[in-house]
Amino acid sequence: MSTEAIGIMTTEPLDTDDAAVLADITRMLRELLEEDGLDDAEISRETTFHDDLELESIDLVTLAGVLREHYGDRVNLALFIADLELDEIIALTVGELADYVAASLRANGQG
Amino acid sequence: MTKIRTGEITTHVQRLPAAGRPADGSEPDVVVFVHGLLTDSLASYYFTLGPAFAAAGFDVIMYDLRGHGRSDRPATGYRLESFVGDLAGLLDALGETRRVHVVGNSFGGTVAAALAAWHPDRVATVTMIESEPPVAEWTRHMADGLADAKSQLSREDVIGWISAHHGAHTARLSRGASRILRVTTLAEDIPAGRVIDDDLSALNCPVLAIFGDESGLSAQVDSLEAKLASCRTVVLAEQGHSVLVERTEETRDLILEWIRDHTLAGAVR
Repeated sequence: MSTEAIGIMTTEPLDTDDAAVLADITRMLRELLEEDGLDDAEISRETTFHDDLELESIDLVTLAGVLREHYGDRVNLALFIADLELDEIIALTVGELADYVAASLRANGQG
Repeated sequence: MTKIRTGEITTHVQRLPAAGRPADGSEPDVVVFVHGLLTDSLASYYFTLGPAFAAAGFDVIMYDLRGHGRSDRPATGYRLESFVGDLAGLLDALGETRRVHVVGNSFGGTVAAALAAWHPDRVATVTMIESEPPVAEWTRHMADGLADAKSQLSREDVIGWISAHHGAHTARLSRGASRILRVTTLAEDIPAGRVIDDDLSALNCPVLAIFGDESGLSAQVDSLEAKLASCRTVVLAEQGHSVLVERTEETRDLILEWIRDHTLAGAVR
């Protein structure tokens, strides 16, 4: 592996990508919440889907479709959530989802 | 999100294509998942059995029952025959002419059995998870349970008790259930629907029935085995009604193994 490749994997651009992913997800959630008339909700990394945004599991199905439309098959929310216990799903935060999406994009070589 | 016109309503459907094709080049079998009443939606499968069945080589169809999830919620029209009509209409709309494997949880299993009884040409197998077939006794159970839920869940003190003892998540689900019961005739319609004869002679396809031993529904095991020509029953120990949620992996493996033994092309391994 060249030093150039190591540099790409370890320095600044990744942080920017993580921020971009968080911004993308925040925008998707705003659009989703707008349909429910809850578009003024605060959204940060610590925001939980269940308690803060009051999203139900069927809303996560919709979000999964939006994520796939945006990122393609690289991001599979169903597989991510299938690995979680019910209490983990209930406690899931926007930041955890953003981390998963960013990691999925990196794993597929397009971070 | 895909919404499809199925008769007089619009139905939210999610499909997952089979991960691979059968070795002989034939079409993969289709598995349709039907969720339960009031607190349920296709999300119960979307994050659990759906991806596993697609990965195992089945075309997967998941949809929201009328009144639930993202499907339409008409004020009236909740007899069993309407739910069955929606499912047959969905298969028509998707161009699905092959017989399908229908897996239903709780009320979803009753819908699956009714589809098999009234449209036997459309169904390869039925799996009922904690379900009753649509016989007269089932309508009496539903009448009691739904009337009880309708009166109890409309009370704030009951919701408060649920929140304190079962958590905010269950309390929110209960509020959602109460909303369906308040704005629709579901509680009155379901017990008034069409039924099949008690001898279950209308159910001719292979049936897999899974129960929890702590659920009253497991008392049906002997009757099902005696009446159905092709039936396998499984009772999970130390388990109540929430089989799909609490015993997801066992349930998945049981159904996968059983459907693989009953594919349209014959058993595949």
